[in-house]
Amino acid sequence: MHSEGLILFFLAGIVMVGMGVLLSSLLSPKKQNDVKEEAFECGIPTEGPSWLQFKVGYYLFAILFLIFDVETVFIFPWATVMKEMGMVAFIEILIFFVILGLGLIYAWKKDALKWE
Amino acid sequence: METTIFYIISAIILVFSVLTVTTTKILRAAVYLLFTLVATAAFYFMMEYNFLAAVQLTVYAGGIVVLIIFSILLTHQINLDLKKINSIKKITSGLVSLFGFILIGNIIYTHTFKATSSVIADTSVNEIGRTLLNYGDGGYILPFEVISVLLLAAMIGAIIIAKKK
Repeated sequence: MHSEGLILFFLAGIVMVGMGVLLSSLLSPKKQNDVKEEAFECGIPTEGPSWLQFKVGYYLFAILFLIFDVETVFIFPWATVMKEMGMVAFIEILIFFVILGLGLIYAWKKDALKWE
Repeated sequence: METTIFYIISAIILVFSVLTVTTTKILRAAVYLLFTLVATAAFYFMMEYNFLAAVQLTVYAGGIVVLIIFSILLTHQINLDLKKINSIKKITSGLVSLFGFILIGNIIYTHTFKATSSVIADTSVNEIGRTLLNYGDGGYILPFEVISVLLLAAMIGAIIIAKKK
């Protein structure tokens, strides 16, 4: 653990973000009114709460995303040794992809990727 | 220095864990849970379990929390405040937590941690990749390919359940 680098990283982050906020608050002209405080939504007055109920259709996409997310986890270690292991590693990952590709084809055929 | 970082991360985990269970807005609870999971990943990075940390970030922070937030957004009671918990529930859950704390604390303090002189297992991503793709002795190529079949089964199962009319 290189703590000097970490401290420097945090300091740089604090300075870069903090100076931006500080300078803009010092330099900007301040004239507040109610209209400026409103949330901007295409110029139309906002209506209702922002936490709305979503369409159920999103959920299937979330699950499919999660599965391919887990797949990427297993590609990380493969990618680091790909060059070293050569053709064998390539064929192994190809089998891995083909099996998962079947899942994608299945989803496609079953219209799971279609928006309803 | 490392001890300081450890305590800072621990403080973040503790604060957000408590906030997760005490907040009355359910969507905020999910976001506090996200912070707790990310801080746990920081622990893994501290111990140089880089692969585990990457998994924690992509699968838990990136995947599971997204799924939880989606589940919350699918319900129509997002804006409702959760009911205040009555005092009997507070006392019983407090007692249960205290019992768990005593049990785990007791186990940790009675266990003598010995420093080992044997070689620590290599947990770098490189080594994991080499072992995972090795088809010889001590290799894990079969489990690696079986994982893809498992993921395929999960995907097909999800589609069948979701598409059932």
